[in-house]
Amino acid sequence: MRHILTLAGALAVGTFLTTPVLAADAARSVIPAEREEYARVPMPANIHVEYSELDGPVFATPEGKTLYFWPHTTMRNGVTADPKNQSACTNEKTTHTAGLMSPYPPGLELPELDKRKSCAEVWIPYVAADDAKPVGAFGLITRKDGRKQWTYDEHALYTSYLDKVPGDVMAATTGNMGSDGPAAREVVTAPSAIPPGFLVYSSVSGRQLLTDKNLSVYVSDRDGSNKSNCDAACTREWAPVTAAASAQAQGEWSIFERSPGVRQWAFRKKPLYTHTLDDGIRSMQGSDVPGWHNAYTQKAPAPPAEFTVQDSITGTVLADAKGRTIYYYNCADDSVDQLACDQVDSPPAYRLAICGGGQVERCLRDWPYVEAGAGARTLSRTWQVLTIDTKTGHLAEPGSPGSLRVWAYKGQPLYTNTNDKDPGDLYGHGNGEFIANRNGFRAFILRDEFSR
Amino acid sequence: MANAKSTLLAGAALLLAGTALSAPAAAETTDIVGLKNGTIGFVLTSAAWGLHQTPDGKTECPEGYNEGPREQFRALFPKGGTVEGTQLERESASRYPMDKEDNFVYREAKGQVGLGMNLDGKVDANDFTSPDGVKGIDNQLYRAIGCTRLFRAPDGTFANFTEMWVREMGFNRILVELTNVDNLANDGDVQVNLYRGKDKLITDATGKNIIAGGSNRVEDRFSKRFTKSLKGKIENGILTTEAADVDWVWSVFYDHPGYYGIKQARLQINLAPHGDRAEGMIAGYTNVDTFYQQLVRAWSTHHSSYGGMSQPSLFRALNRLADGMPDEKGVMTAISSSINLKFVQTFIEHPAPKVAATDSAARPAVEPARR
Repeated sequence: MRHILTLAGALAVGTFLTTPVLAADAARSVIPAEREEYARVPMPANIHVEYSELDGPVFATPEGKTLYFWPHTTMRNGVTADPKNQSACTNEKTTHTAGLMSPYPPGLELPELDKRKSCAEVWIPYVAADDAKPVGAFGLITRKDGRKQWTYDEHALYTSYLDKVPGDVMAATTGNMGSDGPAAREVVTAPSAIPPGFLVYSSVSGRQLLTDKNLSVYVSDRDGSNKSNCDAACTREWAPVTAAASAQAQGEWSIFERSPGVRQWAFRKKPLYTHTLDDGIRSMQGSDVPGWHNAYTQKAPAPPAEFTVQDSITGTVLADAKGRTIYYYNCADDSVDQLACDQVDSPPAYRLAICGGGQVERCLRDWPYVEAGAGARTLSRTWQVLTIDTKTGHLAEPGSPGSLRVWAYKGQPLYTNTNDKDPGDLYGHGNGEFIANRNGFRAFILRDEFSR
Repeated sequence: MANAKSTLLAGAALLLAGTALSAPAAAETTDIVGLKNGTIGFVLTSAAWGLHQTPDGKTECPEGYNEGPREQFRALFPKGGTVEGTQLERESASRYPMDKEDNFVYREAKGQVGLGMNLDGKVDANDFTSPDGVKGIDNQLYRAIGCTRLFRAPDGTFANFTEMWVREMGFNRILVELTNVDNLANDGDVQVNLYRGKDKLITDATGKNIIAGGSNRVEDRFSKRFTKSLKGKIENGILTTEAADVDWVWSVFYDHPGYYGIKQARLQINLAPHGDRAEGMIAGYTNVDTFYQQLVRAWSTHHSSYGGMSQPSLFRALNRLADGMPDEKGVMTAISSSINLKFVQTFIEHPAPKVAATDSAARPAVEPARR
């Protein structure tokens, strides 16, 4: 399963990167000129850093394949995934559920066993040469078949068959579905080159800059280069992010003295603030004030131009041209391998059960795909136009009978829900097993105002 | 049939029983800290569906409680099977409950005693009598869910989680504002405004008890659906409102927004003499579809299993017992119900007039994607 969204994504005016139109095959990632810097760390010769569209700098193989890890995870009924310095992902094909999630018992036969892959076919162990040596945080373990496998911070490393071009993070993003999501694979991001006191958070809008207390960091249009124009009255609402006496400027980070003895951080020469009226962590509320914006180290690729943003009862949601809320489908099976069942080559039975009680026609009626117009073209690796077979949801040849061109996010088709009548409705959100954390539909929430 | 006024007063007297609120007495406005310029605000601290529960449940559920997904799965598939034929079949049934037969026994709450209000002004065979003798109480939702452990307080997980999330999750921050108040004990004409707030509740040093006297800002961008003005009156410290359709925000998990559409809803709230607390109910006809969809979307099969709630079985019960808002074919689309509520006083802060750039109300219904 791919964690395509973080729970509290964000959107504001100017949030997304303005994306140049790519060739139809989107043969490369769209990375903005203002990209996130990373800290240089010791790496083996066959590992380097690539830029991803959504997760910033990530560790990758010489072919540009992004590296992932699978942290040991406690489920409702047991544990799975990799203990430290071990790999639980084997070449043995699982055939039955493990009963890791409630309430269904273990031992149910998994769908389409004839096509099912083993864990190691889906998550390919990143194997090292026999004479490879540990470097820095990169270590080595020996797999059961005797091969060596690279690790990072004691986590076994893998690549995904879904990643096609350097910087792809089609198989996962940093984030989670909460405690009832699957045991997820996570991208191995390169350490961000940020000073102490800051964090970077992967949201659907980009790599959002936060303080280490998860408070949103903002910049103002009124400020100059390394100069604050936020006066005493202004600072009652906008608290300067101050730098300790021992703090040092580094890279894109500078420090200026806003008043005698008071040093303030600036990022890309823009003074940084928190918003004292924000009612929680990772807020977007400050960006409602004209001239103020959330800060990002790297913005995400823009969605299709015809998409809209609508206010809902929980915040803002991405919507189609008619204002209908857009949903994505999320699924992982209950095998010990916790393999995704939301991909275009996954067994359709999982999705059809939720969207139509097993009936294709009902799915197409109640959860129509977000069609791409005749002139629509793939914009980035994140936002693609796919041709799918509407009966199976699998990829299809363009123009083939029963096929449809649809918008996809990270290779995953998007939907609307016919229960939604007015812009901002989101009656389909959470429809699925474990409130769609495991098998179901979730709204494309851009700004979660109440659940942060 | 009791007349409407006596029903309301008797119902309110019932609410007083067993609570710390003393009987309302005429209160001087000067004694009421929260009342300023004829306005006083309250914030919701507790909510629960109005179920009449005896200690062991044997009176209202003599045949026991309902079985849930786990028990039904075991009965249907004793030898297991394929994921498609078992697990996904049950998930399909939750979403399309009429696709297949449901032959499981469903236990409705029995007895004559129930909580709520006389919504239709009649007394008939399906009605309950309140514990203090008020007849004609309409609460068919109690029949539908009263013998399902999930909803029974305090241990049912829906009841338990609701109690927790009403306090902890900003999504559920319901504010009730009374304006045009001359006297908190008796006033024949007050306005009751419902809002959603955006601030946390404040507690005492234990962290457990919500205390009065805080402030809460009105959330006016994403909460228009939940903003409502009602006409009301106060008699002997009991606030009642005229019936109106209300969308009552109620979510039990993070990131799973939802609400219940309540038709002809009316509030009946006992105001503490000094205005620091309030307690009562909202009653009306809850839309069956929103009720069911809420449970399907925001209450997983797993969580349903905690409390013996089978979604397909409940769907049938809700529709069988629905007693309000007939559609053009005469099919009832809503079910009589009540929600028990508790509040503490808060100072409600309204947003300053907006500038055009942040006025979401001025935005077109469909706007271009912001880049």
